[in-house]
Amino acid sequence: MIGAVVALVIAASWHIEASPVEFAEGLPRLWQLIEEVMVELTTVTDNMAYNAVWAMLETIQMAFIGTMVGYALALPMSLLASRNLASRWVYVPMRGLLAMARTLPSIMWALLFIIMVGPGPFAGILAITMYTLGFVAKLQYESIEAVDADPMDSASSIGLSRLQLIRFVVIPESASHLLGHLLYMFDYNVRQTSILGLVGAGGIGFYIITYTKYLQYGKAVFFMLVVLATVLVIDWISVKLRDRYVVKSQRGVAADMP
Amino acid sequence: MSYHASIQSETHDIDKAEPDSCIICMEDVWASYDARSTTIREINMRVSAGSNYAIVGKSGSGKSTLLKIMNGLMIPNRGTIMVDSHRPDQHNRRFQSAMARIGYIPQSLGLVRNSSVLDNVMIGALPRMGALQSLLKRYSEEDMAEARRILEMVGLSGKESRKAYMLSGGEKRRVAIARAFMQNPRILLADEIVSELDSVTSRDIMDLVAVMQRDTGLTAIMIHHDMSLALEYADRVAVMQEGRKIMEMGIDHDHVHILDFQSGNLTTQEILEMYDDSQK
Ligand SMILES: Nc1ncnc2c1ncn2[C@@H]1O[C@H](COP(=O)(O)OP(=O)(O)OP(=O)(O)O)[C@@H](O)[C@H]1O
Ligand SMILES: [Mg+2]
Repeated sequence: MIGAVVALVIAASWHIEASPVEFAEGLPRLWQLIEEVMVELTTVTDNMAYNAVWAMLETIQMAFIGTMVGYALALPMSLLASRNLASRWVYVPMRGLLAMARTLPSIMWALLFIIMVGPGPFAGILAITMYTLGFVAKLQYESIEAVDADPMDSASSIGLSRLQLIRFVVIPESASHLLGHLLYMFDYNVRQTSILGLVGAGGIGFYIITYTKYLQYGKAVFFMLVVLATVLVIDWISVKLRDRYVVKSQRGVAADMP
Repeated sequence: MSYHASIQSETHDIDKAEPDSCIICMEDVWASYDARSTTIREINMRVSAGSNYAIVGKSGSGKSTLLKIMNGLMIPNRGTIMVDSHRPDQHNRRFQSAMARIGYIPQSLGLVRNSSVLDNVMIGALPRMGALQSLLKRYSEEDMAEARRILEMVGLSGKESRKAYMLSGGEKRRVAIARAFMQNPRILLADEIVSELDSVTSRDIMDLVAVMQRDTGLTAIMIHHDMSLALEYADRVAVMQEGRKIMEMGIDHDHVHILDFQSGNLTTQEILEMYDDSQK
């Protein structure tokens, strides 16, 4: 079994002409690149740093808007896609729709929206929104379907309306998971948005691709380092938030959910 | 719009009730979860309004399933059942209007873990609230006063904002009872709400139901794990075995009479032993 997988990897590598020899030959070039970058990093100007920070802020804003809007649009759709809330006639088509939104990677959505609204951050936001919608809705309806049947049964046999059931049982029972999804998605989207600039959809990726094109690798790497630092910080914050609100309440230890 | 006004007229003395009047009537009811096995067989049951009707039986004998049938969560595949003059079915429009006043406490209580005690209790009042008010959690003064009165009655005053998962087992059961009482119920279906509690707490909880029955004429159908509580509090006790009701007893405080005896696999000896055990 493992042998077969190894053989498959080798065969596929040969097919796309990926050779370890070339990689080894490339290594000295990497060293050369590092040296070059180190030299250039010492020449980073205030202006460049300003550009980097501003572009990173734009990226975060895009990710934030896309995540929030996508998440908010996903929630009602995922309620309609849950088997324990909606009838078959509703959840089957809804799931189909969400699966379609999920099929395209965000960069493809970006290309599509650039055609529609022209290049720039707006196209990027739309792309992130669509991608988030498809992706997070699946996480949401899976959590909603995992809500314990007993509170649902006892509440629905009191005669609650569907909306009351959602407000008083579904949302509180799945709140910690839903919040977890939001944090996860934002975190993920900051990284996604950083590359959308590659196709001209705004954000810091634009600088990276431009400097790379003009062979100014040092400057490109500087911008990459800014992305790296930001992602680390956001990751750290979201771990803290997750600890505070998600993990504890799932364990049943004191935590106040909003 | 308090309980007390409307109640006096309702009879809660089973002996005075007409022999034919039943708030829950089952005739030859059969039910199954799947095609291969039958869980409930040939059940005939008449529960008089205002009575306390206990159901006992071994684990797996179909007690909880019987309650789900009364509640319309499960539809029998044979026979007829009427609850408060409606055919119980959660999708039946007519039954839906009755549901608001049928309290159902499943074996696991069915509380919303992450919600406060107050929000859990208010679930019982939601059907009579306006749609928008309820979604915004704008509870009316009347409902708040009622909730406070009930929480006081079940001994949970001061714990309104506690999350349900932080409560003890006995407290959780009181919340479930308070939620049912908040419905201003005509019928209470309670699945083993006093099992695995110490006898003082169990009696406290049984007394709450008894008080509610006396004050409002509530009909209670309660599943019990041990026979002694059933004999102490119920007017009638049905014994289930393998999906059948094998015996029904009428209790009038001094003695137990066997009203209906359908031969199950239990021998007379075993039934007597069960009764004896419960007397200890
Ligand atoms: N959801 C279900 N699907 C299939 N079978 C079920 C389901 N719930 C219960 N049963 C089966 O139906 C039978 C009766 O179950 P029920 O829960 O009514 O028993 P019970 O008398 O309440 O037992 P206990 O005292 O343990 O609660 C059991 O054999 C059980 O395995
Ligand atoms: Mg049971």
